[in-house]
Amino acid sequence: MIITTENLTYKYGVGTPFEKTALNNVSIGIEDGDYVGIIGHTGSGKSTLISHFNAILKPTSGRVYVDGEDLWQENKLKRIQTRFKVGLVFQYPEYQLFEDTVYNDIAFGPKNMGLSDKDIEQRVMMATEFVGLDKKYLEKSPFDLSGGQKRRVAIAGVMAMSPKVLVLDEPAAGLDPRGRDEILARIREYHQETKSTVLLVSHSMEDIAKNANSIIVMNRAECMMHASVKEVFEKAEELEKIGLDIPQITKVFISLNKLGYKVSPDIYTVEDARDEIMRCIKDGDVK
Amino acid sequence: MIKDITIGQYFPGDSVIHKMDPRMKIILTVVYIAALFMVKNFWGFLLTGGLLIVIILISKIPVQTVLKGIKPLLFIIVFTAFFNIFYGTGAPVFPDIGWLAWLKWGGLRNAAFMVIRIVLLITGTSFMTYTTSPVMLTDALERLISPLRYIKVPVHELAMMMTIAMRFIPTLTDETEKITNAQKARGADFETGNIIRRAKALIPILIPLIVSAFRRAEELADAMECRCYNGGDGRTRYKIYSFSLRDYIAAFIVLAVFVSIILINVFI
Repeated sequence: MIITTENLTYKYGVGTPFEKTALNNVSIGIEDGDYVGIIGHTGSGKSTLISHFNAILKPTSGRVYVDGEDLWQENKLKRIQTRFKVGLVFQYPEYQLFEDTVYNDIAFGPKNMGLSDKDIEQRVMMATEFVGLDKKYLEKSPFDLSGGQKRRVAIAGVMAMSPKVLVLDEPAAGLDPRGRDEILARIREYHQETKSTVLLVSHSMEDIAKNANSIIVMNRAECMMHASVKEVFEKAEELEKIGLDIPQITKVFISLNKLGYKVSPDIYTVEDARDEIMRCIKDGDVK
Repeated sequence: MIKDITIGQYFPGDSVIHKMDPRMKIILTVVYIAALFMVKNFWGFLLTGGLLIVIILISKIPVQTVLKGIKPLLFIIVFTAFFNIFYGTGAPVFPDIGWLAWLKWGGLRNAAFMVIRIVLLITGTSFMTYTTSPVMLTDALERLISPLRYIKVPVHELAMMMTIAMRFIPTLTDETEKITNAQKARGADFETGNIIRRAKALIPILIPLIVSAFRRAEELADAMECRCYNGGDGRTRYKIYSFSLRDYIAAFIVLAVFVSIILINVFI
Protein backbone atom coordinates (compact mmCIF):
# COMPACT_ATOMS: atom_id res chain seq x y z
CA MET A 1 0.00 0.00 0.00
CA ILE A 2 1.41 3.36 -0.99
CA ILE A 3 -1.42 5.50 0.38
CA THR A 4 -3.71 4.51 3.21
CA THR A 5 -6.39 6.51 4.99
CA GLU A 6 -7.89 5.53 8.32
CA ASN A 7 -11.29 6.91 9.27
CA LEU A 8 -10.44 10.08 7.42
CA THR A 9 -12.95 12.82 8.19
CA TYR A 10 -12.82 16.39 6.98
CA LYS A 11 -15.19 19.21 7.79
CA TYR A 12 -15.26 22.61 6.17
CA GLY A 13 -15.90 25.67 8.29
CA VAL A 14 -15.75 24.00 11.69
CA GLY A 15 -17.40 26.18 14.32
CA THR A 16 -19.35 28.31 11.86
CA PRO A 17 -22.97 27.96 10.76
CA PHE A 18 -21.64 26.81 7.39
CA GLU A 19 -20.03 23.63 8.74
CA LYS A 20 -20.15 20.83 6.20
CA THR A 21 -18.75 17.33 6.25
CA ALA A 22 -16.82 16.79 3.03
CA LEU A 23 -15.36 13.42 3.99
CA ASN A 24 -16.88 11.03 6.45
CA ASN A 25 -14.87 8.12 7.84
CA VAL A 26 -13.09 7.23 4.65
CA SER A 27 -10.75 4.25 4.96
CA ILE A 28 -9.08 3.20 1.75
CA GLY A 29 -5.80 1.73 0.62
CA ILE A 30 -4.13 2.47 -2.69
CA GLU A 31 -1.99 -0.36 -4.03
CA ASP A 32 1.54 0.52 -5.20
CA GLY A 33 1.65 0.68 -9.01
CA ASP A 34 -2.10 0.64 -9.42
CA TYR A 35 -4.10 2.88 -11.77
CA VAL A 36 -7.10 3.97 -9.78
CA GLY A 37 -10.11 5.82 -11.13
CA ILE A 38 -12.05 8.00 -8.70
CA ILE A 39 -15.65 8.66 -9.64
CA GLY A 40 -18.49 10.37 -7.86
CA HIS A 41 -21.11 13.02 -8.22
CA THR A 42 -20.13 16.70 -8.03
CA GLY A 43 -19.62 17.53 -4.37
CA SER A 44 -19.17 13.91 -3.31
CA GLY A 45 -15.74 14.62 -1.81
CA LYS A 46 -13.39 13.49 -4.59
CA SER A 47 -11.30 16.63 -4.67
CA THR A 48 -11.24 16.92 -0.89
CA LEU A 49 -10.05 13.32 -0.67
CA ILE A 50 -7.13 13.77 -3.04
CA SER A 51 -6.08 17.02 -1.35
CA HIS A 52 -5.35 14.93 1.73
CA PHE A 53 -2.89 12.67 -0.07
CA ASN A 54 -0.17 15.32 -0.19
CA ALA A 55 -0.98 17.17 3.02
CA ILE A 56 -2.67 20.19 1.40
CA LEU A 57 -5.61 19.66 3.73
CA LYS A 58 -5.32 18.55 7.33
CA PRO A 59 -7.83 15.90 8.40
CA THR A 60 -10.37 16.97 11.01
CA SER A 61 -9.92 13.46 12.37
CA GLY A 62 -8.40 10.22 11.15
CA ARG A 63 -5.05 9.48 9.60
CA VAL A 64 -3.35 9.55 6.22
CA TYR A 65 -0.33 7.36 5.56
CA VAL A 66 1.94 7.78 2.56
CA ASP A 67 4.54 5.04 2.13
CA GLY A 68 3.76 3.87 5.65
CA GLU A 69 4.41 7.26 7.27
CA ASP A 70 1.67 9.12 9.09
CA LEU A 71 1.62 12.53 7.38
CA TRP A 72 0.50 14.56 10.36
CA GLN A 73 2.87 12.94 12.81
CA GLU A 74 5.87 14.04 10.78
CA ASN A 75 7.42 17.51 10.93
CA LYS A 76 6.63 20.19 8.40
CA LEU A 77 9.71 19.62 6.28
CA LYS A 78 8.78 15.98 5.88
CA ARG A 79 5.31 16.98 4.79
CA ILE A 80 6.74 19.19 2.08
CA GLN A 81 8.83 16.21 0.98
CA THR A 82 5.61 14.22 0.64
CA ARG A 83 4.48 16.65 -2.01
CA PHE A 84 7.34 15.48 -4.21
CA LYS A 85 6.31 11.90 -3.63
CA VAL A 86 2.63 12.47 -4.34
CA GLY A 87 2.29 14.80 -7.32
CA LEU A 88 -1.09 16.47 -7.43
CA VAL A 89 -2.48 18.04 -10.60
CA PHE A 90 -5.51 20.16 -9.74
CA GLN A 91 -8.46 20.95 -11.98
CA TYR A 92 -7.62 23.43 -14.73
CA PRO A 93 -3.93 23.36 -13.81
CA GLU A 94 -3.04 25.80 -16.61
CA TYR A 95 -4.13 28.66 -14.35
CA GLN A 96 -1.15 28.04 -12.10
CA LEU A 97 1.49 28.79 -14.77
CA PHE A 98 3.56 31.83 -13.87
CA GLU A 99 7.12 31.65 -15.17
CA ASP A 100 8.49 33.56 -18.15
CA THR A 101 9.28 30.42 -20.14
CA VAL A 102 7.75 26.98 -20.35
CA TYR A 103 11.10 25.51 -19.33
CA ASN A 104 11.24 27.51 -16.11
CA ASP A 105 7.68 26.66 -15.26
CA ILE A 106 8.23 22.94 -15.59
CA ALA A 107 11.45 23.36 -13.60
CA PHE A 108 9.66 25.01 -10.67
CA GLY A 109 8.90 21.73 -8.91
CA PRO A 110 12.35 20.15 -9.37
CA LYS A 111 13.93 23.45 -8.25
CA ASN A 112 11.93 23.31 -5.05
CA MET A 113 13.26 19.81 -4.54
CA GLY A 114 16.74 21.29 -4.46
CA LEU A 115 18.12 19.36 -7.44
CA SER A 116 21.20 20.38 -9.38
CA ASP A 117 20.81 22.29 -12.67
CA LYS A 118 21.81 19.23 -14.62
CA ASP A 119 19.23 17.04 -12.90
CA ILE A 120 16.60 19.71 -13.35
CA GLU A 121 17.28 19.86 -17.07
CA GLN A 122 17.04 16.13 -17.36
CA ARG A 123 13.75 16.11 -15.45
CA VAL A 124 12.28 18.87 -17.58
CA MET A 125 13.23 17.03 -20.77
CA MET A 126 11.75 13.80 -19.49
CA ALA A 127 8.48 15.45 -18.48
CA THR A 128 8.26 17.36 -21.76
CA GLU A 129 8.59 14.12 -23.62
CA PHE A 130 6.00 12.36 -21.48
CA VAL A 131 3.32 14.95 -22.14
CA GLY A 132 4.21 15.05 -25.83
CA LEU A 133 5.17 18.69 -25.92
CA ASP A 134 7.39 19.84 -28.77
CA LYS A 135 10.82 21.03 -27.53
CA LYS A 136 10.48 24.24 -29.53
CA TYR A 137 7.94 25.47 -26.98
CA LEU A 138 10.38 25.29 -24.07
CA GLU A 139 11.70 28.82 -24.60
CA LYS A 140 8.27 30.33 -25.24
CA SER A 141 6.11 32.08 -22.68
CA PRO A 142 3.49 29.70 -21.30
CA PHE A 143 0.88 32.42 -21.78
CA ASP A 144 1.32 32.29 -25.55
CA LEU A 145 0.33 28.64 -25.82
CA SER A 146 -3.07 27.19 -26.65
CA GLY A 147 -5.28 25.79 -23.93
CA GLY A 148 -4.36 22.18 -24.58
CA GLN A 149 -0.66 22.94 -24.64
CA LYS A 150 -0.89 24.94 -21.42
CA ARG A 151 -2.54 21.94 -19.81
CA ARG A 152 0.35 19.76 -20.94
CA VAL A 153 2.89 22.19 -19.52
CA ALA A 154 1.08 22.21 -16.19
CA ILE A 155 0.93 18.41 -16.05
CA ALA A 156 4.60 18.21 -17.05
CA GLY A 157 5.36 20.56 -14.14
CA VAL A 158 4.12 17.91 -11.76
CA MET A 159 5.53 14.92 -13.67
CA ALA A 160 8.98 16.58 -13.56
CA MET A 161 9.08 15.92 -9.84
CA SER A 162 8.96 12.19 -10.69
CA PRO A 163 6.33 11.51 -8.06
CA LYS A 164 5.76 7.92 -7.01
CA VAL A 165 2.06 8.69 -7.09
CA LEU A 166 0.52 10.95 -9.71
CA VAL A 167 -2.91 12.29 -8.82
CA LEU A 168 -4.92 14.08 -11.50
CA ASP A 169 -8.18 15.90 -10.91
CA GLU A 170 -10.05 15.81 -14.22
CA PRO A 171 -7.00 16.39 -16.38
CA ALA A 172 -9.07 16.28 -19.56
CA ALA A 173 -11.86 18.66 -18.52
CA GLY A 174 -12.59 21.32 -21.10
CA LEU A 175 -10.39 19.83 -23.81
CA ASP A 176 -11.60 18.78 -27.25
CA PRO A 177 -11.96 15.02 -27.88
CA ARG A 178 -8.56 14.72 -29.48
CA GLY A 179 -6.81 16.67 -26.71
CA ARG A 180 -8.64 14.53 -24.21
CA ASP A 181 -7.51 11.23 -25.71
CA GLU A 182 -3.95 12.47 -26.11
CA ILE A 183 -3.57 13.64 -22.53
CA LEU A 184 -5.01 10.41 -21.18
CA ALA A 185 -2.83 8.32 -23.49
CA ARG A 186 0.22 10.23 -22.25
CA ILE A 187 -0.72 9.63 -18.66
CA ARG A 188 -1.20 5.94 -19.36
CA GLU A 189 2.22 5.80 -20.97
CA TYR A 190 3.74 7.54 -17.98
CA HIS A 191 2.08 5.00 -15.71
CA GLN A 192 3.40 2.06 -17.68
CA GLU A 193 6.92 3.34 -18.17
CA THR A 194 7.64 4.66 -14.69
CA LYS A 195 5.65 1.98 -12.85
CA SER A 196 4.21 4.77 -10.74
CA THR A 197 0.80 4.78 -9.13
CA VAL A 198 -1.81 6.94 -10.86
CA LEU A 199 -5.07 8.25 -9.44
CA LEU A 200 -7.47 9.73 -11.96
CA VAL A 201 -10.53 11.71 -10.97
CA SER A 202 -12.98 11.83 -13.85
CA HIS A 203 -16.62 12.20 -14.73
CA SER A 204 -16.23 10.16 -17.85
CA MET A 205 -16.91 6.49 -17.27
CA GLU A 206 -15.40 5.76 -20.69
CA ASP A 207 -12.09 7.34 -19.68
CA ILE A 208 -12.06 5.46 -16.40
CA ALA A 209 -12.91 2.14 -18.09
CA LYS A 210 -10.20 2.66 -20.65
CA ASN A 211 -7.46 3.50 -18.18
CA ALA A 212 -8.05 2.37 -14.64
CA ASN A 213 -7.51 -1.04 -13.04
CA SER A 214 -9.65 -0.33 -10.01
CA ILE A 215 -12.25 2.25 -9.09
CA ILE A 216 -13.10 4.22 -5.97
CA VAL A 217 -16.72 5.38 -5.91
CA MET A 218 -17.41 8.39 -3.71
CA ASN A 219 -20.92 9.25 -2.62
CA ARG A 220 -22.02 11.89 -0.13
CA ALA A 221 -18.64 12.25 1.55
CA GLU A 222 -18.22 8.50 1.89
CA CYS A 223 -16.33 5.86 -0.02
CA MET A 224 -19.09 3.64 -1.34
CA MET A 225 -17.03 1.13 -3.29
CA HIS A 226 -13.40 0.38 -3.91
CA ALA A 227 -13.05 -2.55 -6.27
CA SER A 228 -11.91 -3.61 -9.70
CA VAL A 229 -13.42 -2.02 -12.81
CA LYS A 230 -15.47 -5.14 -13.49
CA GLU A 231 -16.85 -5.38 -9.97
CA VAL A 232 -17.86 -1.71 -9.93
CA PHE A 233 -19.50 -1.58 -13.36
CA GLU A 234 -21.39 -4.78 -12.62
CA LYS A 235 -23.36 -2.74 -10.11
CA ALA A 236 -24.83 -0.49 -12.75
CA GLU A 237 -28.07 0.02 -10.87
CA GLU A 238 -26.39 1.20 -7.70
CA LEU A 239 -24.27 3.60 -9.70
CA GLU A 240 -27.30 5.01 -11.44
CA LYS A 241 -28.99 5.55 -8.11
CA ILE A 242 -26.24 7.94 -7.04
CA GLY A 243 -26.26 9.82 -10.32
CA LEU A 244 -23.39 7.96 -11.98
CA ASP A 245 -23.34 5.81 -15.02
CA ILE A 246 -21.57 2.93 -16.72
CA PRO A 247 -19.78 3.21 -20.07
CA GLN A 248 -22.18 3.38 -23.04
CA ILE A 249 -20.55 0.43 -24.74
CA THR A 250 -21.19 -1.64 -21.61
CA LYS A 251 -24.88 -0.74 -21.83
CA VAL A 252 -24.93 -1.88 -25.45
CA PHE A 253 -23.39 -5.24 -24.60
CA ILE A 254 -25.62 -5.82 -21.61
CA SER A 255 -28.61 -5.24 -23.92
CA LEU A 256 -27.18 -7.53 -26.58
CA ASN A 257 -26.64 -10.17 -23.95
CA LYS A 258 -30.22 -9.83 -22.77
CA LEU A 259 -31.46 -10.15 -26.34
CA GLY A 260 -29.90 -13.58 -26.42
CA TYR A 261 -26.65 -12.92 -28.24
CA LYS A 262 -23.80 -14.89 -26.80
CA VAL A 263 -21.63 -11.87 -25.99
CA SER A 264 -20.05 -11.11 -22.66
CA PRO A 265 -21.78 -8.29 -20.74
CA ASP A 266 -18.44 -7.28 -19.19
CA ILE A 267 -17.23 -5.07 -22.00
CA TYR A 268 -15.99 -1.64 -20.96
CA THR A 269 -14.07 -0.20 -23.88
CA VAL A 270 -14.66 0.06 -27.61
CA GLU A 271 -11.48 -1.95 -28.23
CA ASP A 272 -12.76 -4.82 -26.08
CA ALA A 273 -16.08 -4.60 -27.87
CA ARG A 274 -14.37 -4.95 -31.24
CA ASP A 275 -12.43 -8.01 -30.02
CA GLU A 276 -15.56 -9.55 -28.55
CA ILE A 277 -17.51 -9.11 -31.78
CA MET A 278 -14.62 -10.58 -33.78
CA ARG A 279 -14.53 -13.52 -31.42
CA CYS A 280 -18.26 -14.08 -31.78
CA ILE A 281 -18.04 -14.00 -35.55
CA LYS A 282 -15.11 -16.39 -35.49
CA ASP A 283 -16.86 -18.79 -33.13
CA GLY A 284 -19.96 -18.64 -35.27
CA ASP A 285 -22.13 -17.36 -32.42
CA VAL A 286 -23.35 -14.52 -34.55
CA LYS A 287 -24.01 -14.61 -38.27
CA MET B 1 -6.66 33.90 7.10
CA ILE B 2 -8.02 36.19 4.42
CA LYS B 3 -11.49 34.95 5.24
CA ASP B 4 -11.17 36.17 8.85
CA ILE B 5 -11.46 39.81 7.85
CA THR B 6 -15.06 40.73 8.40
CA ILE B 7 -14.96 44.40 7.45
CA GLY B 8 -17.11 44.88 4.42
CA GLN B 9 -19.11 41.73 5.07
CA TYR B 10 -22.85 41.76 4.81
CA PHE B 11 -25.09 39.88 7.23
CA PRO B 12 -28.55 39.53 5.78
CA GLY B 13 -31.38 40.32 8.15
CA ASP B 14 -34.62 42.22 8.37
CA SER B 15 -34.07 44.54 11.30
CA VAL B 16 -35.04 48.21 11.19
CA ILE B 17 -31.39 49.05 10.52
CA HIS B 18 -31.31 46.67 7.56
CA LYS B 19 -34.41 48.29 6.13
CA MET B 20 -33.14 51.84 6.47
CA ASP B 21 -32.42 53.83 3.34
CA PRO B 22 -28.77 53.14 2.53
CA ARG B 23 -28.23 56.81 1.70
CA MET B 24 -29.28 57.76 5.20
CA LYS B 25 -27.00 55.10 6.62
CA ILE B 26 -24.01 56.54 4.79
CA ILE B 27 -24.80 60.09 5.85
CA LEU B 28 -25.34 59.08 9.47
CA THR B 29 -22.13 57.06 9.48
CA VAL B 30 -20.26 60.18 8.40
CA VAL B 31 -21.97 62.17 11.14
CA TYR B 32 -21.06 59.43 13.63
CA ILE B 33 -17.40 59.56 12.59
CA ALA B 34 -17.39 63.34 12.90
CA ALA B 35 -18.95 63.06 16.35
CA LEU B 36 -16.29 60.56 17.43
CA PHE B 37 -13.50 62.91 16.49
CA MET B 38 -15.08 65.79 18.34
CA VAL B 39 -15.29 63.88 21.60
CA LYS B 40 -12.95 65.45 24.16
CA ASN B 41 -13.86 63.59 27.34
CA PHE B 42 -15.25 60.25 28.45
CA TRP B 43 -18.83 61.52 28.64
CA GLY B 44 -18.80 61.84 24.89
CA PHE B 45 -17.64 58.25 24.51
CA LEU B 46 -20.38 57.12 26.85
CA LEU B 47 -22.87 58.72 24.51
CA THR B 48 -21.42 57.37 21.23
CA GLY B 49 -20.74 53.98 22.83
CA GLY B 50 -24.33 53.90 24.07
CA LEU B 51 -25.56 54.68 20.56
CA LEU B 52 -23.44 51.85 19.19
CA ILE B 53 -24.79 49.35 21.73
CA VAL B 54 -28.34 50.34 20.80
CA ILE B 55 -27.48 49.78 17.12
CA ILE B 56 -25.96 46.36 17.89
CA LEU B 57 -29.08 45.34 19.81
CA ILE B 58 -31.51 46.51 17.16
CA SER B 59 -29.62 45.05 14.21
CA LYS B 60 -29.35 41.58 15.82
CA ILE B 61 -25.81 41.06 14.52
CA PRO B 62 -24.12 38.54 16.85
CA VAL B 63 -21.69 40.21 19.24
CA GLN B 64 -18.99 37.63 18.44
CA THR B 65 -19.06 38.72 14.82
CA VAL B 66 -18.61 42.32 15.88
CA LEU B 67 -15.66 41.39 18.11
CA LYS B 68 -14.12 39.25 15.38
CA GLY B 69 -14.09 42.30 13.14
CA ILE B 70 -11.78 44.07 15.60
CA LYS B 71 -9.36 41.16 15.87
CA PRO B 72 -7.31 41.77 12.70
CA LEU B 73 -6.83 45.38 13.80
CA LEU B 74 -5.67 44.47 17.28
CA PHE B 75 -2.09 45.14 16.32
CA ILE B 76 -2.77 48.69 15.18
CA ILE B 77 -4.79 49.38 18.32
CA VAL B 78 -2.05 48.10 20.64
CA PHE B 79 0.59 49.93 18.62
CA THR B 80 -1.27 53.24 18.87
CA ALA B 81 -1.91 52.83 22.56
CA PHE B 82 1.73 51.97 23.20
CA PHE B 83 3.06 55.13 21.61
CA ASN B 84 0.45 57.35 23.18
CA ILE B 85 1.57 56.25 26.61
CA PHE B 86 4.98 57.89 26.08
CA TYR B 87 3.65 61.27 25.06
CA GLY B 88 1.79 62.17 28.19
CA THR B 89 1.84 65.24 30.34
CA GLY B 90 0.73 65.85 33.90
CA ALA B 91 1.49 64.03 37.10
CA PRO B 92 3.56 60.82 37.02
CA VAL B 93 1.70 57.62 37.84
CA PHE B 94 4.37 56.32 40.20
CA PRO B 95 6.01 59.41 41.76
CA ASP B 96 8.18 57.21 44.02
CA ILE B 97 9.74 54.96 41.36
CA GLY B 98 12.45 56.84 39.51
CA TRP B 99 12.73 54.85 36.32
CA LEU B 100 8.98 55.00 35.76
CA ALA B 101 8.94 58.80 35.88
CA TRP B 102 8.04 59.03 32.19
CA LEU B 103 4.73 57.30 32.80
CA LYS B 104 2.24 60.15 33.24
CA TRP B 105 -1.50 60.09 33.86
CA GLY B 106 -1.97 62.15 30.74
CA GLY B 107 -0.29 59.44 28.65
CA LEU B 108 -2.51 56.71 30.02
CA ARG B 109 -5.53 58.91 29.39
CA ASN B 110 -4.46 59.54 25.80
CA ALA B 111 -3.85 55.84 25.21
CA ALA B 112 -7.24 54.88 26.59
CA PHE B 113 -8.83 57.63 24.51
CA MET B 114 -7.23 56.37 21.31
CA VAL B 115 -8.19 52.76 21.94
CA ILE B 116 -11.82 53.63 22.63
CA ARG B 117 -11.94 55.93 19.64
CA ILE B 118 -10.51 53.34 17.23
CA VAL B 119 -12.74 50.54 18.51
CA LEU B 120 -15.85 52.73 18.29
CA LEU B 121 -14.80 53.93 14.87
CA ILE B 122 -14.25 50.45 13.44
CA THR B 123 -17.28 48.78 14.94
CA GLY B 124 -19.52 51.73 14.19
CA THR B 125 -18.56 52.04 10.56
CA SER B 126 -18.57 48.30 9.99
CA PHE B 127 -22.24 48.31 10.94
CA MET B 128 -22.95 50.15 7.75
CA THR B 129 -21.54 47.24 5.74
CA TYR B 130 -22.92 44.57 8.09
CA THR B 131 -26.46 45.77 7.46
CA THR B 132 -26.23 46.94 3.84
CA SER B 133 -25.52 44.72 0.87
CA PRO B 134 -22.61 45.88 -1.30
CA VAL B 135 -24.96 46.50 -4.20
CA MET B 136 -27.17 48.78 -2.15
CA LEU B 137 -24.14 50.51 -0.73
CA THR B 138 -22.63 51.43 -4.07
CA ASP B 139 -26.06 52.30 -5.40
CA ALA B 140 -26.59 54.72 -2.54
CA LEU B 141 -23.11 56.12 -2.92
CA GLU B 142 -23.74 56.73 -6.58
CA ARG B 143 -26.90 58.62 -5.71
CA LEU B 144 -25.19 60.66 -3.02
CA ILE B 145 -22.31 61.80 -5.19
CA SER B 146 -24.39 62.16 -8.34
CA PRO B 147 -24.43 66.00 -8.12
CA LEU B 148 -20.72 65.77 -8.92
CA ARG B 149 -21.54 64.77 -12.49
CA TYR B 150 -22.20 68.44 -13.23
CA ILE B 151 -18.49 69.00 -12.80
CA LYS B 152 -17.81 66.06 -15.14
CA VAL B 153 -17.05 63.41 -12.52
CA PRO B 154 -17.94 59.99 -14.04
CA VAL B 155 -20.21 59.09 -11.12
CA HIS B 156 -21.92 56.09 -12.62
CA GLU B 157 -18.67 54.58 -13.85
CA LEU B 158 -17.06 54.97 -10.44
CA ALA B 159 -20.01 53.30 -8.75
CA MET B 160 -19.99 50.46 -11.29
CA MET B 161 -16.28 49.94 -10.72
CA MET B 162 -16.86 49.72 -6.99
CA THR B 163 -19.70 47.24 -7.41
CA ILE B 164 -17.57 45.04 -9.62
CA ALA B 165 -14.60 45.24 -7.26
CA MET B 166 -16.73 44.16 -4.32
CA ARG B 167 -18.41 41.44 -6.32
CA PHE B 168 -15.05 39.89 -7.13
CA ILE B 169 -13.53 39.86 -3.66
CA PRO B 170 -14.85 36.37 -2.77
CA THR B 171 -14.08 35.08 -6.26
CA LEU B 172 -10.48 36.20 -6.06
CA THR B 173 -10.13 34.89 -2.50
CA ASP B 174 -11.21 31.49 -3.76
CA GLU B 175 -8.85 31.72 -6.66
CA THR B 176 -5.93 32.68 -4.42
CA GLU B 177 -6.54 29.61 -2.34
CA LYS B 178 -6.65 27.37 -5.39
CA ILE B 179 -3.44 28.76 -6.85
CA THR B 180 -1.70 28.58 -3.47
CA ASN B 181 -2.61 24.92 -3.17
CA ALA B 182 -1.46 24.21 -6.71
CA GLN B 183 1.94 25.79 -6.05
CA LYS B 184 2.18 24.05 -2.69
CA ALA B 185 1.64 20.79 -4.55
CA ARG B 186 4.76 21.65 -6.53
CA GLY B 187 6.72 22.07 -3.33
CA ALA B 188 6.47 25.86 -2.98
CA ASP B 189 7.14 26.89 0.59
CA PHE B 190 5.47 30.06 1.84
CA GLU B 191 6.12 29.72 5.52
CA THR B 192 9.84 29.48 6.10
CA GLY B 193 12.80 31.73 5.38
CA ASN B 194 13.38 35.44 5.89
CA ILE B 195 11.10 38.18 4.72
CA ILE B 196 12.73 38.58 1.28
CA ARG B 197 12.48 34.86 0.64
CA ARG B 198 8.85 34.88 1.66
CA ALA B 199 8.05 37.87 -0.52
CA LYS B 200 9.69 36.12 -3.44
CA ALA B 201 7.69 32.99 -2.70
CA LEU B 202 4.54 35.00 -3.42
CA ILE B 203 5.43 35.54 -7.07
CA PRO B 204 4.09 32.11 -8.14
CA ILE B 205 0.75 33.13 -6.61
CA LEU B 206 0.57 36.75 -7.69
CA ILE B 207 1.30 36.27 -11.38
CA PRO B 208 -1.39 33.65 -12.05
CA LEU B 209 -3.78 35.70 -9.93
CA ILE B 210 -3.20 38.88 -11.93
CA VAL B 211 -3.42 36.96 -15.21
CA SER B 212 -6.72 35.47 -14.16
CA ALA B 213 -8.04 38.82 -12.93
CA PHE B 214 -7.40 40.28 -16.38
CA ARG B 215 -9.03 37.29 -18.02
CA ARG B 216 -12.09 37.69 -15.83
CA ALA B 217 -12.21 41.40 -16.55
CA GLU B 218 -12.25 40.74 -20.26
CA GLU B 219 -14.94 38.08 -19.96
CA LEU B 220 -17.03 40.34 -17.77
CA ALA B 221 -16.70 43.20 -20.25
CA ASP B 222 -17.88 40.92 -23.02
CA ALA B 223 -20.77 39.65 -20.94
CA MET B 224 -21.82 43.20 -20.11
CA GLU B 225 -21.67 44.25 -23.72
CA CYS B 226 -23.75 41.23 -24.71
CA ARG B 227 -26.42 42.57 -22.43
CA CYS B 228 -26.20 45.97 -24.07
CA TYR B 229 -24.53 47.81 -21.23
CA ASN B 230 -23.32 51.15 -22.47
CA GLY B 231 -22.69 53.29 -19.45
CA GLY B 232 -24.99 55.18 -17.16
CA ASP B 233 -26.83 57.37 -19.66
CA GLY B 234 -30.48 56.56 -19.90
CA ARG B 235 -30.40 53.77 -17.33
CA THR B 236 -33.42 53.62 -15.10
CA ARG B 237 -33.65 52.05 -11.68
CA TYR B 238 -35.41 48.99 -10.48
CA LYS B 239 -35.34 50.17 -6.89
CA ILE B 240 -36.20 53.74 -6.03
CA TYR B 241 -35.11 54.81 -2.57
CA SER B 242 -37.12 57.19 -0.48
CA PHE B 243 -36.71 58.32 3.11
CA SER B 244 -39.35 56.99 5.46
CA LEU B 245 -40.23 57.64 9.07
CA ARG B 246 -37.56 55.29 10.43
CA ASP B 247 -34.90 57.18 8.50
CA TYR B 248 -35.98 60.47 10.03
CA ILE B 249 -36.06 58.94 13.51
CA ALA B 250 -32.55 57.53 13.04
CA ALA B 251 -31.35 60.88 11.76
CA PHE B 252 -32.89 62.61 14.75
CA ILE B 253 -31.17 60.25 17.23
CA VAL B 254 -27.74 60.50 15.63
CA LEU B 255 -27.98 64.26 15.30
CA ALA B 256 -29.08 64.48 18.94
CA VAL B 257 -25.92 62.59 19.94
CA PHE B 258 -23.86 64.88 17.72
CA VAL B 259 -25.30 68.05 19.25
CA SER B 260 -24.98 66.64 22.77
CA ILE B 261 -21.28 66.05 22.20
CA ILE B 262 -20.81 69.64 21.12
CA LEU B 263 -22.72 70.80 24.17
CA ILE B 264 -20.63 68.53 26.44
CA ASN B 265 -17.48 69.97 24.91
CA VAL B 266 -18.69 73.49 25.56
CA PHE B 267 -20.04 73.05 29.05
CA ILE B 268 -17.98 70.32 30.74
